Amino acid sequence: MRTLRKLVLGETWTLPVGIALAVGATGALRLAAGDEGWFAHAGGWVLFGGLVLALAASVGRQRRR
Amino acid sequence: MATSGRAGRDDARHNDLVAFFLTAVGAALACGLEMLEAMAIVLAVAVSRRPREAVLGAVAAAAACGALAVVAGPLLVAQVAGDALRLVVGVALLLFGLEWLRKGVLRLGGRRTRSSSYAEFLEEREALEAVVPPPEGRFDWPGWTIAFKGVLLEGVEVILIVTVLAARPSGLAPALAGAVVALVAVIALGAVLHRPLRRLPETELKLVVGLVLTTFGTFFAAEGLGVHWPLGDGALPLLLAAWAAVAGALALAIARSPAPVRAGAGAAP
Repeated sequence: MRTLRKLVLGETWTLPVGIALAVGATGALRLAAGDEGWFAHAGGWVLFGGLVLALAASVGRQRRR
Repeated sequence: MATSGRAGRDDARHNDLVAFFLTAVGAALACGLEMLEAMAIVLAVAVSRRPREAVLGAVAAAAACGALAVVAGPLLVAQVAGDALRLVVGVALLLFGLEWLRKGVLRLGGRRTRSSSYAEFLEEREALEAVVPPPEGRFDWPGWTIAFKGVLLEGVEVILIVTVLAARPSGLAPALAGAVVALVAVIALGAVLHRPLRRLPETELKLVVGLVLTTFGTFFAAEGLGVHWPLGDGALPLLLAAWAAVAGALALAIARSPAPVRAGAGAAP
């Protein structure tokens, strides 16, 4: 099970949790903004920003160890 | 009107080609690098113990991976469709892609040992030579198990990545083409192994895999959440460039703050 978890989720929890938070926050923004309007065009870059933060956090954690 | 219509069709065809190329490259590199690692383990078993058990273990694992591929792809497409499928595919690609990217950034920044299937081959062979093989005529179960487990673990990751890339719209052909090219290339490398394997810049190639998977992951997860990318598939090269810039900046930042390489941090994906 540990091997399978590492295979799917990776070696750290920071990344899967970060991805979940970024996707969840972008989904919440979509609900708030509606299907059309600014989100339909710029929502992808909002998700990109969240994912960059997730990657930076996971790299930063390893760097501090 | 006719001119703008033709220009629109040309743009769409160009974007389709870009998506096809990126999918094929991502699948080929991911499959090729994982298969190289599997081959390093099988060769170590064959050289240090017995070739027959190494090959039998590898074939059994390949058959198990084939069965998984036959089940996983149709199951994924049958269970989820439309925006939900795009979101599932996107998140799965992000899980794989960002992990490859994280390791690549740490390697380029000097916080992880560089990836080398040849070094893995030497380590595995050294470890196996310390274990006494069974007498002649008896099946070498430890050798078979090591070859089976090595190919299975690397193979499952290959199957998952190719399945997810193939599940996206128009993704089946380039994903399979990339996988087949990788298979042929790895077998060709295996025939004349040592020198080409040592020369491969595996760290940089793995970073490229991470960039491609993460780019597709971001693209499809956003589409699954209701985003209409302004340039359609044409947004893919922009996303790829943006992720490359982020990875480069992070690696540079890490490299500028020196710290010792941790013991055991050299495991390859």
